[in-house]
Amino acid sequence: MALKSGVAMEEGALIRAAQAGDHAAFEQLVRAYDQSVLRLAMNLLRSPEDAHDVYQDAFLRVYRNLHAFRFDCSFHTWLYRIVTNLCLDHLRKRKVRKEEPTVLATADGPLDRMDAVPEERVDGDPQRYLFSGQLRTRIREVLGDLTPRERMVFELRHYQGLRLRRIGEVLGTTEEAAKNCLFRATQKMRAALGDFYQS
Amino acid sequence: MKRENMTCDSVRGELSLMLYGELTFDEEERVESHLDSCADCRAALVRERALHAALDSAAIDPQPSLLWECRQDLGVRLAEEPVRSEAPRLNWWDRFVDGITLKPSGGLLRPLGATALVALGFGLAHLVPAMSSGGGFGNGVGAMSLADAGAARVRDVKPAAEGRVQIVLDETRQRTVSGRVDDQPIRALLLGAAKDASDPGLRAELVDILISRSQFADVRDALVYEVQHDPNAGVRMKAMEGLKPLVGQPEVRVALEQVLFADANPGLRTQAIDLLTGGANAAIDRNVDREIVGTLQELIERGEQQGYVRERCRSVLKAVNASLETY
Repeated sequence: MALKSGVAMEEGALIRAAQAGDHAAFEQLVRAYDQSVLRLAMNLLRSPEDAHDVYQDAFLRVYRNLHAFRFDCSFHTWLYRIVTNLCLDHLRKRKVRKEEPTVLATADGPLDRMDAVPEERVDGDPQRYLFSGQLRTRIREVLGDLTPRERMVFELRHYQGLRLRRIGEVLGTTEEAAKNCLFRATQKMRAALGDFYQS
Repeated sequence: MKRENMTCDSVRGELSLMLYGELTFDEEERVESHLDSCADCRAALVRERALHAALDSAAIDPQPSLLWECRQDLGVRLAEEPVRSEAPRLNWWDRFVDGITLKPSGGLLRPLGATALVALGFGLAHLVPAMSSGGGFGNGVGAMSLADAGAARVRDVKPAAEGRVQIVLDETRQRTVSGRVDDQPIRALLLGAAKDASDPGLRAELVDILISRSQFADVRDALVYEVQHDPNAGVRMKAMEGLKPLVGQPEVRVALEQVLFADANPGLRTQAIDLLTGGANAAIDRNVDREIVGTLQELIERGEQQGYVRERCRSVLKAVNASLETY
């Protein structure tokens, strides 16, 4: 990472510099992690607006509390704790007011907010396109039926590629508990998606 | 080694964890041993793989414009935060969007500076294995010598007492294979490694080899992936060079536009402009796609902070007689 001195700096030094008020160092920290933070929030919340809010709140919290970071865990784990807590709050609020539909009624007719999200192309085969669209819709429904914790563990393992031990650290639980949670999540997905993925 | 027989039910419960690489070496051995002798469970593994692939298809990559908007808004909100220390407050906002530290007057040097740092990074990446194997791990690697350990895959790592680390290795035997890049199995190996190898120097070499075969759809897709996701700017730059002959293809244009909006490296953003508009200096294509003109206008309107990139946008728009902003 290039800093004001133009010298590569390892993460620990970067954090200390940011703690001392070096805004360039803080910027480098944000840039090192913000794409994966946004991807995590986007995949979990499936809403650009909510992902945007989580991004803002997470990095503001980091900025305000960085002075208290004592290297007891990795910066990545600390940041992900903040992000996952914010996402869990969003998911739990949604559970209370029932899952927010991705399709909104507008004056111009129904609008699927996920249409703003790029989808994988299925080259020129309308049947495959239709099928893959139905599959994605079904997967989103099934993800919405998972508990917030199952959803979180599944997201961190499947889409973010975190090991279960690290997921346990991030969520303040054991590797075993994370493993059980992942097991339940995949079991539910398997049961709910069987017809789709086997065809 | 003592092996317990597993039932079909218990094996099927472990398949997903096996695909996630979350079983211990012994657990995986037991599952694989069962799979060797059970066709039903092998079929269940195929279905499990299909489920994982189906789930992959639901992953969302946020739009580059959303990332850009998040960074903009964060910059504004941070500017409103009280200063936390005595350190001089740098021009945070400009730097946040800019990403590179040379002054505007040194704009032309910026991509060169970035390239030099990338080259330095490659050199160091190549040195790292040599330093590790010659260094003082010394005793404590169990019965295995460090040279042996180099051929193994790290399955897990845990902190241990007294500042040591405990590394769980999957032992593998090195094997040399050779073949032509046109051969699918060889190409599959190269493509997998280009995506997964941790050494940026190796990834750069792989991309270097692959770009001569960019006519293959799988190679093109891998290059597009590298351009969008590789953490090393040098590898992204190489992959982008490989996409040069394919710039007319929609997937490639989308990838280049993403670089233009979201890549932290101004050298790459400049290169993306040049590829999308047909040439670096005087060779700008007068029939530049209107969409690209719109993209460049949007960049300027959004307040592109990096001087060299902004100037490049302006010069292209001027060369094609387009206004500097949309109306």
